[in-house]
Amino acid sequence: MANARLLVKRLKSVRNIRKITRTMELIATSRFKRAMDRATEAAEYTKKISEIVGDLGAADLKFSHPLLEERPETKKSVLLVLTSNRGLCGGYNGAVLRNTLKHIEQLKADEIDFSLEVSGKRGIKFLNFQKIDIDSSYTHFEDSPTFAEVDELGSRYVDDYIAGRIDRLDVAYTSFQTISRQSAVVESILPLSSLSSGSDGESAAGADGTDYEFQPSPQEILEEIVPAAFRAKLFKCFLDAAVSEQIARMVAMKGATENADEMAGDLKQQYNRARQAGITSELAEIIGGAAALE
Amino acid sequence: MADLRLVLVTPEKTLFDKPVASIKVPMFDGSAGIYPGRAPLVGRLGVGELTLKGGDGASDSYFIEGGFIQIKGEQVSVLTNAATPAEKISRTAAAEELAAAKAEKATTDDAMEAVANKIDRARKLVKMATAE
Repeated sequence: MANARLLVKRLKSVRNIRKITRTMELIATSRFKRAMDRATEAAEYTKKISEIVGDLGAADLKFSHPLLEERPETKKSVLLVLTSNRGLCGGYNGAVLRNTLKHIEQLKADEIDFSLEVSGKRGIKFLNFQKIDIDSSYTHFEDSPTFAEVDELGSRYVDDYIAGRIDRLDVAYTSFQTISRQSAVVESILPLSSLSSGSDGESAAGADGTDYEFQPSPQEILEEIVPAAFRAKLFKCFLDAAVSEQIARMVAMKGATENADEMAGDLKQQYNRARQAGITSELAEIIGGAAALE
Repeated sequence: MADLRLVLVTPEKTLFDKPVASIKVPMFDGSAGIYPGRAPLVGRLGVGELTLKGGDGASDSYFIEGGFIQIKGEQVSVLTNAATPAEKISRTAAAEELAAAKAEKATTDDAMEAVANKIDRARKLVKMATAE
């Protein structure tokens, strides 16, 4: 019977854990919806930016801007790693950090001097454990990063890049493709490879032959819009990471809840068997005792 | 008369997407008014007050910080880094910002310009501020 009591205890704790994971799943679901809404709202801005870029393209203008130019030699680069502040989100942080380590190896092999900037407690902890020096770390980007916060970083990168203090900016984050598909990537966002955020076909959408008046001049607008496009792109990285984190947590917690259900079922069955076995043996003892008296 | 539709977007969200009667925007070199039937335009915006008048004569204003404007047919798109509705600008905070900007000392040409921009921005904020 001692065995059955032990099983009851385990069953209770499994059920308690199930309650917790189930709640976390629900929280992640609601956060995911909020993050997703923000990402959709932000997409509108990038769409408009690429529309204006398309309009500028129609004004047959040479696209030249310091942020667009690729440096012949990369001496100094910045690697920005976006991880989450909280754990319990499956392989989300692991995938990003694995990519980060690989990228750092690559940078070392190419003998490129780099500074490492990490956002999120999970990434900071992991890299500290790996004894990799972090140049700056941020923990204030929660699941809804604001544009002002990201812009602070963005402006610094723009200034550094134009001044020649950095030659490249890479971001390691989880890019959001669809609800069922996110992948950890390392993306170079400075120099800007293209101004349109989406496919190249999208940038052509704006150029539908409307004859625009430019104020002040196409060149000057371009000078302003390139940094704006970069900032929007950086912001998108943060939003993508936030959405992906919530999805990863949702999936992980759903899995945990299902496992807990299964385990509770198994334990219940084991308990019932143990109980039945106890009753049977007790009966056998009584019958045996009665038979011995005769 | 053709309609005019204003779409005001910031990187975080679309703040406004409604038909309006007329709009006044702060361009990089001064404010500009837009009525229905304006020629297509792509322009750079400055810092300042964006005022829009609805079809019923009610007006609404936002404080916007730079960005771009695109006018295409009846659609006017304003892209800006941040837009604050006038009723949400605090008078005390704006006054504090102006005082801080005025107290700043500049030593180089670039810094002079930056400070002048800050003072200009704060003055415009103070002018628009309505909330306590």
